Amino acid sequence: MTATTVPEAATGVLPRADGSAKYSHAGYIVTGSVNGPIEAQRRDEHPYEAHVDVIVRPAAGIGGTRERHLESILQSSLAQIILVKNFPRSLIQIVLQIEHSPENDYVNTKLVQANLNISIMPALFQTSVLALLSAGVPMKAIATATAVALSHQNGTKQTIVDPSPREVETAQSVHVLAFTSHDELLLAESEGHFTVNEWDDVYETARKVCCRPTTQKEGIAMVLDDEDASGPDMRHFVRSTMESKVATDLHWK
Amino acid sequence: MATTERLFVLPGETIDPSLIPTHKKHPLRLGPGLRHIPPSDIVPTVAGQLITNPLKNSMWVEYNSHRYIPSQGDIILAQILRSTTDFYLCSISPYSAPATLPHLAFEAATKKTRPQLAPGSLVYARVSLANRHMDPEVECVNPSTGKADGLGPITGNGCVFDVSLGFARRLLMARNREDGGVGVLEMLGGEEGGGLAFETAVGRNGKVWVGSESARTVVIVGRALQETDRGALGMEEQRRLVKRLVKGMR
Repeated sequence: MTATTVPEAATGVLPRADGSAKYSHAGYIVTGSVNGPIEAQRRDEHPYEAHVDVIVRPAAGIGGTRERHLESILQSSLAQIILVKNFPRSLIQIVLQIEHSPENDYVNTKLVQANLNISIMPALFQTSVLALLSAGVPMKAIATATAVALSHQNGTKQTIVDPSPREVETAQSVHVLAFTSHDELLLAESEGHFTVNEWDDVYETARKVCCRPTTQKEGIAMVLDDEDASGPDMRHFVRSTMESKVATDLHWK
Repeated sequence: MATTERLFVLPGETIDPSLIPTHKKHPLRLGPGLRHIPPSDIVPTVAGQLITNPLKNSMWVEYNSHRYIPSQGDIILAQILRSTTDFYLCSISPYSAPATLPHLAFEAATKKTRPQLAPGSLVYARVSLANRHMDPEVECVNPSTGKADGLGPITGNGCVFDVSLGFARRLLMARNREDGGVGVLEMLGGEEGGGLAFETAVGRNGKVWVGSESARTVVIVGRALQETDRGALGMEEQRRLVKRLVKGMR
């Protein structure tokens, strides 16, 4: 798979894992595997719920503090949508391997170590949701995530969906938002300077990308053609990806 | 089976109330992949096809996965890990909590005469206890009649192959090859496979034991099953696969 700007995904790419997904969007490629529910180590055991373990592996080198930070954010938001109470004393392990991240053409990256920032979070988040769906881990709802950057250019404000590394660098603030399929805000991470009004704009933009309504008609999801729609329709994307996966899985029905 | 709708659902989606079956006598039964949120919401928890059966007043989500979650009454293939004073500990799926198999849960077993199973040996068993707060328990005997009903230790030459749970469930279904979509076993034993002689034991936990006097047959059958599962092969592709495997191993 090559890095793409539009979202692309494949599920079940790792035959030995319980569930896996490869996801490519906005120049990022992430492969994720999900195993679980499996037996938890003694120290991770919780008497009433499953422990969700997220491991982020960078494209090069070994993970450090930044990865631990991303892991803790992902862990707390994914534990909200997984039905953890169904599997007490067990472990659901999610491993995310970053394969490729977009390069900033304006800066010479001296290190081979991939530069991590919060704009990779939507890719990591979406990969874990797809891998969880592929593993058949029971969930309350699905979730979609997007990154939005705010920049001031020549005195005009601009909101950029899925910003490139250059846009992240020049932006005033970068935001990552995730929504569940019940249109509830699941995750909001921000970086930079912004006002409350600006955050509201970002929220509306991200909501349009993540929660575009689909109308159900005779079992077929119909997408409303929104003229002013900006960015990809993430929810429809997850749905169509999983629909084709289920169709191949149950071909003998 | 009288099933009507085949609607694709994702976790958390609302199910149209018109799809939920109603029946005068039977209460509504929810199968795997659905949860009931009191008072009246029924919500899918996995991605799959929603199937409703108005005759039995039941509904469930059909999906495929790799991790087996024990549920009572399932027939599984377990491997003995070790023996304790009263029961054997056996593995149903890798890295999951081990299941217990009481020493006396075999046909005609008493304290003095019970099967001596070495670590690594296989048993074909039924899940007798499964709940989320306890380790699962399995048995090789029907507790009401005391008969084995085909369960018990697996003996003879053979090998275990892993397949996906959906494929294992399909193999356990009694369906003929024309409308079933999977006819690889009949083909191997029939004219396409040159009449290979083998026996199988399919566990609901995604494990298939293939037994035969000749190791060659075991490998052919096991590979055919795994490739059919992984490649989601159709009938014609299965026929070609069987011919290729049998030819290649001659």
